[in-house]
Amino acid sequence: MRKIGLVIKREYITRVRTKAFILSTIGLPLLFMGTFGFSIYMATRQTNRTLKIAIVDEAGGLATPIARDLAGKVSNGKPQFELVKTVESPAADRDIRDELLADIQRGRLDAFLLVPQDALRQGIAELHARNTADFSLMGTIDRAVSNAVIARRLEQKGIQASDVDEIVKGVNVRLIKVTEQGETEEKGQTFVVAIMLGVLLYVTLIVYGVATMRSVMEEKSTRIVELLVSSIKPFHLLVGKMLGVAGVAATQYLIWGVAAGTVAAYGGAMAAAIDPEASIPHLHLPAVWMAYLLLFFLAGYLLYAALYAAVGAMVSTEQEAQQLQTPVTLVIVFSFLLFNVILRDPNSTTSVVLSLVPFLSPILMILRIAVQTPPLWQIALSLGLSVVTTTGVLAISAKIYRVGVLMYGKRPSLVELLRWFRYT
Amino acid sequence: MAAMREAVALERVTKRFDTVTAVDNLSLKIRAGAIFGLLGPNGAGKTTTLRMMMRIMIPDEGDIRLLGELLSERSQEVIGYLPEERGLYPRMRVKEVLVFLAALKGLSEVEAGRRADQWLERFDLAHWAHKKVIDLSKGMQQKVQFIAAVIHRPPVIILDEPFTGLDPVNAVMVKDIMLELRDQGATVILSTHRMEQVEMMCDSICLIHKGRNILDGDLKQIKQSYGKNTVRIEYSGGDGDFLKAGGAAASINRYGAVVEVKLNPGADPQELLKSAVGHGVRISRFELVEPPLNDIFIEKVSSVDA
Repeated sequence: MRKIGLVIKREYITRVRTKAFILSTIGLPLLFMGTFGFSIYMATRQTNRTLKIAIVDEAGGLATPIARDLAGKVSNGKPQFELVKTVESPAADRDIRDELLADIQRGRLDAFLLVPQDALRQGIAELHARNTADFSLMGTIDRAVSNAVIARRLEQKGIQASDVDEIVKGVNVRLIKVTEQGETEEKGQTFVVAIMLGVLLYVTLIVYGVATMRSVMEEKSTRIVELLVSSIKPFHLLVGKMLGVAGVAATQYLIWGVAAGTVAAYGGAMAAAIDPEASIPHLHLPAVWMAYLLLFFLAGYLLYAALYAAVGAMVSTEQEAQQLQTPVTLVIVFSFLLFNVILRDPNSTTSVVLSLVPFLSPILMILRIAVQTPPLWQIALSLGLSVVTTTGVLAISAKIYRVGVLMYGKRPSLVELLRWFRYT
Repeated sequence: MAAMREAVALERVTKRFDTVTAVDNLSLKIRAGAIFGLLGPNGAGKTTTLRMMMRIMIPDEGDIRLLGELLSERSQEVIGYLPEERGLYPRMRVKEVLVFLAALKGLSEVEAGRRADQWLERFDLAHWAHKKVIDLSKGMQQKVQFIAAVIHRPPVIILDEPFTGLDPVNAVMVKDIMLELRDQGATVILSTHRMEQVEMMCDSICLIHKGRNILDGDLKQIKQSYGKNTVRIEYSGGDGDFLKAGGAAASINRYGAVVEVKLNPGADPQELLKSAVGHGVRISRFELVEPPLNDIFIEKVSSVDA
């Protein structure tokens, strides 16, 4: 037991003080937060700016209703559009268009809307803009032009547009997520959180699994393993190594968890201080999920690390390692690819069964927990099955490991591998 | 304490890998407080034997006793090991590696640190203690590895080719430490192909071939048992026919000026001298010698193969 402790300690300390650990611990949340902060920044920036537009109405009589429609759009207390110029003529000459284009190019104008003569019949208009990537801007203008054209068409058929509005007024269905804690309006944040947790698990399982394999390979290729097994049972060495790496990962998760908790607690307040009007969807990230995340990471890590360690023990070269680790990594990738199945219907029989299958369960169960927390017995069963499988896999891996680390030369065939099980 | 006379005792030990029998019914006693040479051609089963002594492998049949007791988990702590294939963690610091390895052998980390400092001092590596292993030269790494084998003061020390990679100065230092440890009561088991080192250092040897013990015992006695049979002669005159006369010679090895004659069992070297005088040969040197260990090694191995 004391010896396992020594192996854990060595593995842990030599890893935690590497630059790679420090960089990845700081870097990954920064990347997450950066993405998050950037999108908030973009969202507020976009609504803060008033777009200067001009309308060229060749069809006639449409500019006014369009302008009225656009003038009503307000966000953060500021109008979304400022109508700089309206040109109403059956066929606006090229000079006017060139002038407007020049204004856009010089930055005096953001866009001009061209409603052609046969807009009513053809149903076509053009928006000439500098920034063509802004789809929300496009959507607003599209709606305004459509409304104006439809109203005109209805008028031509003798129908009052206001009557039609009243008749076709749709219903806005708000999506409210119901959890044990109450209700929150869903604006897609559940999906975001689920994907975030899933990706985190996916990335760390591969990173730490491969790190375990490399650690085994290092001891084998430097031959220090021969010295080690003269002092400690190979099985204890393997378990100590896995626990040491798991400890490093747990440390990283803990740091991230505290950081995420801080952001969840104060992030909203901070954003509100910067911009009182900014609406940040409330992220539902209860502490128990952090516990689940760590638990499922550990369950998944130990299972995959046992396999990665066996791969490391079997090979002598980098190329062999690349080949042999691929099937293991592919299983992790495969569970990542089942994202959609879970997200579409987290409680379908398929989802439930998949989230219980060992190897797939860590990532898929976390997704289910994030989207729609399943009954506790399913979570417990999933963990239980994973633990049982890990025990079995570890027993097999330990046999491969014990023989493999002392075998040099070419990688064993399957038949040779089976013979290893008879060695003592 | 009678059991303590033997540091290691193998009793009919057999180890098979698939169809290969690496160690075949091997019995062997290694005297405590002596330097013991484990010899044998490549693939003889030396490494497997050593690995079984350290409980890295478990014999299929037979018993191994260490200091009188059957091997157990604790017995790994009384052995120090210098593997033939050297290796340390390249990115760990020198002292850290030593402390880790010594702690695995049962020392407290404080004590391990104290002894690591002493040993590093002795090997002129004191200011390398906090450097990474990878920054050391090959020879320095060899010395660190040697320290790892002895730092926990094990009563039994297994050294596999301890002198490879060491310059003459460091080789002498390692040799002196080995003798010093032996004088302090440790048993040193040396596995090597360098026969001249064995002849100079070892108290007793075992020669294994194809997993079997084909020769073992006190080195002096072994050599004596052979040495009586070899005569080294320098002479002038005559055609050398006298060597064959009288039927004393079993084999004749001519090295130009010197001739080595291996005598038949029971033959009297005096007969050879008489025969020489009878043939009118002038003798300038007539010496009874022990054959070099190298010859014993080759002869034994080829006689088993024949």
